[in-house]
This record gives sequence, C-alpha cells and structure tokens, in this order.
Amino acid sequence: MSNMLEIKNLQARIAGNTILNGLTLTVKAGEVHAIMGPNGSGKSTLAQVIAGHADYEVLGGTVTYQGENLLALEPEDRAREGIFLGFQYPVEIPGVNNAYLLKAAVNAKRRHQGLAEIDAFEFLKLARERMSLLEMDASFLNRSVNEGFSGGEKKRNEILQMAMLEPKLAILDETDSGLDIDALKAVANGVNALRDPERAIVLVTHYQRLLDYIEPDYVHVLSKGRIVRSGDKSLALELEEKGYEWIQEAANA
Amino acid sequence: MRTSALDQDLFAAAVGSMPADELSAVRNDAASRFASLGFPTARNENWKYTNLSGAAAISNAWLREHAGVPFSSASITRPGQAESTLLRQIDANWIVIRNGSVDMNSLERTRKNYGAVINFSHLSDRTAECDIDVDDPMSAFNAALLLDGLHISVSPDSDSLTPLGILQIDDPSQQASQVRIVLEIGRSSSLRIVECALSANHGAQFTNAVIQASIASNACLSHVRLQLRGDEHVGVSRITATLDRDARFHHDAFDFGGSLTRNDVVAIIAGTNAQVRLHGLYLASGNQHIDNHTRVEHRVGPAVSDEEYRGVLSGRSRAVFNGQAVVFKGADGTDANQSNHNLLLSSQAEIDTKPELEIYADDVKCSHGATVGQLDEASLFYLRSRGLDQGEAKRLLTQAFASEFLSELSVEVCREYLTSTLDERLADLVSDRHL
Ligand SMILES: Nc1ncnc2c1ncn2[C@@H]1O[C@H](COP(=O)(O)OP(=O)(O)O)[C@@H](O)[C@H]1O
Ligand SMILES: [Mg+2]
Repeated sequence: MSNMLEIKNLQARIAGNTILNGLTLTVKAGEVHAIMGPNGSGKSTLAQVIAGHADYEVLGGTVTYQGENLLALEPEDRAREGIFLGFQYPVEIPGVNNAYLLKAAVNAKRRHQGLAEIDAFEFLKLARERMSLLEMDASFLNRSVNEGFSGGEKKRNEILQMAMLEPKLAILDETDSGLDIDALKAVANGVNALRDPERAIVLVTHYQRLLDYIEPDYVHVLSKGRIVRSGDKSLALELEEKGYEWIQEAANA
Repeated sequence: MRTSALDQDLFAAAVGSMPADELSAVRNDAASRFASLGFPTARNENWKYTNLSGAAAISNAWLREHAGVPFSSASITRPGQAESTLLRQIDANWIVIRNGSVDMNSLERTRKNYGAVINFSHLSDRTAECDIDVDDPMSAFNAALLLDGLHISVSPDSDSLTPLGILQIDDPSQQASQVRIVLEIGRSSSLRIVECALSANHGAQFTNAVIQASIASNACLSHVRLQLRGDEHVGVSRITATLDRDARFHHDAFDFGGSLTRNDVVAIIAGTNAQVRLHGLYLASGNQHIDNHTRVEHRVGPAVSDEEYRGVLSGRSRAVFNGQAVVFKGADGTDANQSNHNLLLSSQAEIDTKPELEIYADDVKCSHGATVGQLDEASLFYLRSRGLDQGEAKRLLTQAFASEFLSELSVEVCREYLTSTLDERLADLVSDRHL
C-alpha cells in the first residue's frame, strides 16, 4: 500500500514560538491513527499545518500527500484533493447558511474532479441520509453555520461535513471533547461508516474514551512537538492508566 | 481637489427666468435664503468630509445654459434597459421622474390605480397648505429652482395595498435635477414606497431630491430607497419625516452607486408612542464617496427609535456616518438605539463614523455604538478548508454581513431585485483591484 501522508522532520512555528520540532509520521490508506498527547504538545498545530493555515509557518521538513508536496497547495486545493480537517473549535459564521456551505463545498470538490455539480434534489437526499446517521435534525441545514450550536452539535456538524465530502484523509481534532455519551456514539458511528480501505483517518484526542468506539490501528504520543512513542491501541490504555508523564520523562531521558 | 464654488450670479439669473406661477413666492424666499448660504463647505461641521465642488461645477454648467432662458420640462428620453428591468421586476405602481420632471403618463396610470385612496397633485396647486422646507442650504437650492413637485396624500383610514414606486432617472451630461415630493399620510392609514434612483447613462449629473413627509396619528410610512446611480453621479438627498402620536416610520436606505452621495434623514417624533426604524446599507468601491447623516429628534416621550447602518468599503472608497439622536427635555420614556458597523475590504478605504447622543431628559434608555473591522480570518480559513476559494469565501462572508436587513425589509416587493443587485455589487467589491 502506498503512503497517503508522509511527514518528515516537520518544524513549524506560530507567533514566533516553535511548536513542532521535527515531527515524523507516515499514514497509509485504510489506516486509522490516533495522536494523543498533553495539552499544548502541538496536536492542533499539526492539524492546522496539514490543512494549510497561513498563521503557522513551516520552518523545515516535508509533508507529502499522495506523492505531492502538500505545503505548496492553498487550503482550498488541499480540501479539493481530499483532505478534511474537523476543527477542535469550529467557528460560528452568522449569515452563512449551513446547507449552502455544504453544497458549495461538495460542488467545489466535484468541479475540481471534473464532475458535474450535484443538483438540489440529490444534495438534499444525501444530506438527509448522512444527518440521520449522525442523529442530527434536518433543521440544522437551514441554520447559519454553527451559530448558536451547542458544543456537541458543532462536532456533529463537522462530521456531517466530512460525511458529505468523503475525504481521502480526515484529521479530526478533538472531535470527542465535550461530547456526552450519546453524542460520542453518534460521532463514532459517523466516523466508522467512513472507514474504508481507500481512506485514512487521523484522530487527535486527549482521552482514550473515543478509542473504545473507533478502534485505531496505531497510537502515537506527541510531546513538545515530536512523536515520542508509537504503538498499537494498547498504548492508549497504558496512557489512560499511567498518564503522560512517564512517556515525557522517558523521552527527555 | 476641484474647488469650484457655485456661481451666485448664474444662480440669480436662472431663478429670474423661472416661470411666474404659484410657486414663485416659495422660489424667491428660497433663493434669498440660498444666496446667503451658498453650497456648504468643509467649514460647516455637517459637511466636513463631503466636498460638493463637483456638484457646483455641474450646477454652474447647467445654470449657464438656463440663465435667462425660460425653464421647461426636460426632453423625454426613451426608457432604457435598466429602467425596464426595474419596472418589470418590482411590483409597484410606478411614477417615473425623468431628469427632474414627472412623467405624466406614469402619474395618470398610478392615480387611476389608487382611486380615492391616494390623491396626487402638483405642488404648485398645494402651496397654500404645505410648508416647503428650506432650512438646509441644499434644500433651499432645491426649492429655488423647482419647476414643480409632487404632492401625495393618503386618505385617513386607508391601506394602499400595492406599494407606490418612485423612479428617479436622469440622463447624462451636465444635468442638474431638483426633485421635491411632499407626502401626507392620513390618520390610521399606511403607505409603502419603494424609491429607486438610477442613471440612464454614465456621465456627470447632479441630483438634489427632497422628500418631506408628515405621518398622522396611528399612520405608517414604510420607505425603501435604492440608490443605483452611475459612476459619475453626484447625488444629494434629504428626507424629513414628522411623526404624530402612535405613528410609524420605517426607512431602509440602500446606497450602492454614485460617485459622491450625501443623504440626510431627519425623523421628528412629535407624538407619543411613535416608532422610528432606520436601516441603511452602503457599498462603495473604487473612489466612491457615500455620506449618511441622520438625525432623530425625540421631542416627546415615550417613543422608540432604532437605527442601524452598515457599510462595506473596498478600493479607495470613503464613507461617512453621522447619527444624531436628540432627546428633548421632558421626552421621558424615550428608547433610542443606534449603531453603525463597517467592513473594510481594503486598507485604503476609509470610514468616518460618529454616533452622537444628546440627552436632555431624565428617564431614557439610549444606546449607541460603532464598529470598523475586516473579514474574520478564522471564518475565511474555515470556508477555504472546505474547498471554497478565497474570493468565494470573502464574498460569502461579506454577503452575510451585508444581508442583515434583507430579512426585515419595510417593503417586500423589492426583495428579489434588491437581493440580486446586492449580490452583483458585492462581487464587484470583493474583486476590487485595489484590494
Ligand atoms: N495563535 C497562537 N499564537 C501563539 N501561540 C499559539 C497559538 N496557537 C497555539 N499556540 C501555542 O502553541 C502550543 C501548541 O498548541 P496546540 O497545537 O493547540 O496544542 P494541543 O492541540 O496539543 O493542545 C501551545 O503552547 C499554544 O499556546
Ligand atoms: Mg488542540
């Protein structure tokens, strides 16, 4: 299997602070990776750099996506090429209709692929189907993007966007935090429904709880901007038990 | 900067050549008032940012042509594409005012449609009953050179179902038009007006329009004004509304066009429990200049006024917002709210915003605020991360900001036209090359 994403010795900074310090990670199609680590270790920074946020400055290293230099692409082109970032803090956009954004996003990708735009009927059918999987009321379509949504509703909305866009590489940044157990199950259902040999999923999470519902193939621990340990799902359980300190100490040693 | 002043000799000669009729006394009064004032200059605090020398230059050329020559109605031009589209798309009873003169066919048609509900007459036939307002210099200039005007009165206890449309359209080339409309909304009746201002062609023109409205007790005037003038147009407009007890005045102003635009809106609350709502949206690109001055006088209380103006500026455009709310002594129970929000799409665009509250009463609730900002970077990135290109993301966010008032338009029939015009204009703004 070819590498979907290959990150080598990545260094990045924001506002003058170097956050990623030589991070290396390879993700293949069909795999689910979990990236764990204490607050401030750089998990969101990694996610934002992959999505192309301009505030994060790449100082060194390479990011190769499907054999191409990802860092040369604009954020919208990364999305159209199949990268999806589920934000840790999805923004509220008053006045921009949720359905409009979903449809514009789907069509931007379809145009990029040389496909015809989806028609209104097909779009609604697909959206309703995906929403029911996530146990989301269809009324969310008519609201402004994330405006007045609860924490859980925002996360479901991220997963809805992912389900509509059917990305090749999904990075979900703490999609589980702040969710009650029902919401967590709904979100996990949505993610599991997308598991596919052609698709890779990177779960960024602080807790192992999500991993009870979405079983990862690999677990990595991020500390001070680099991956200090990798293992299988048992590593997550170990972390749950012992906390992060032992790994950080081991890494510093 | 051009610094032409209005030529007072040409002005006097032109006033002298106006026809001798029922309006003569009004004109002469106004002319002597204007002669002492002249066009406002930057020395006048209310005109600090808006320079009328362009209007003076056009007016001088026009006055020269008319000095000593008897005034007559301007030549008829054939309706152009923009005009036809507008008249077709907005379902209203239209009166067309072309180059400052009322198109008689449109007036007759509209008069028939309203029957006894609305009475239309020439201002010259109503001079005895109405006070022609000439306080302000531009208003005095308007009255001094007024060939005629429209007097529109709505009978008491009536509801005109189809909105009244007023289209002001002007041809190019050194044309200066003075338009005046006096509105009387009878007790417990309502009138909805959609007013559109267009240019038939590109070219330097100056228009100076005054609307004076009196809204009787329990009556309602809803007025949407859509300004889509050409890119060399200089426009000054003034609307003054006086509200009696329980009266309502809703005014939505959309300024999308023109080279230099100055609007004055004055609402005078003279009766208890009156309500004033002013909404304004201005969009400017290139070198456009748009100045909105509003004044709400709470002479008595309780009464409510709500005002919100929004602006989107790109290129090297400039906008001015000045909102005065004055609460008179004894106007207790006044609730006055005012805000002005601006979105700057370019670092070279400029806004001067100044909400002013003057409160002389004790028991009042007043709020005011102004903001100036750029598009939210986090929202832009979010949209781009979903595959929308930068231009589309900017357009969407700008549209969200600018569409605030569309959900509560005072006159519904223009929604579709307005929405598509707005979208077109926003696309221009977002792609303004000075970004
Ligand atoms: N916009 C920013 N400006 C300055 N520092 C930032 C900014 N965003 C994140 N950081 C810093 O970068 C570090 C890593 O943050 P982040 O990647 O969000 O960590 P994590 O997601 O692992 O909790 C933190 O120390 C944080 O304070
Ligand atoms: Mg984070």
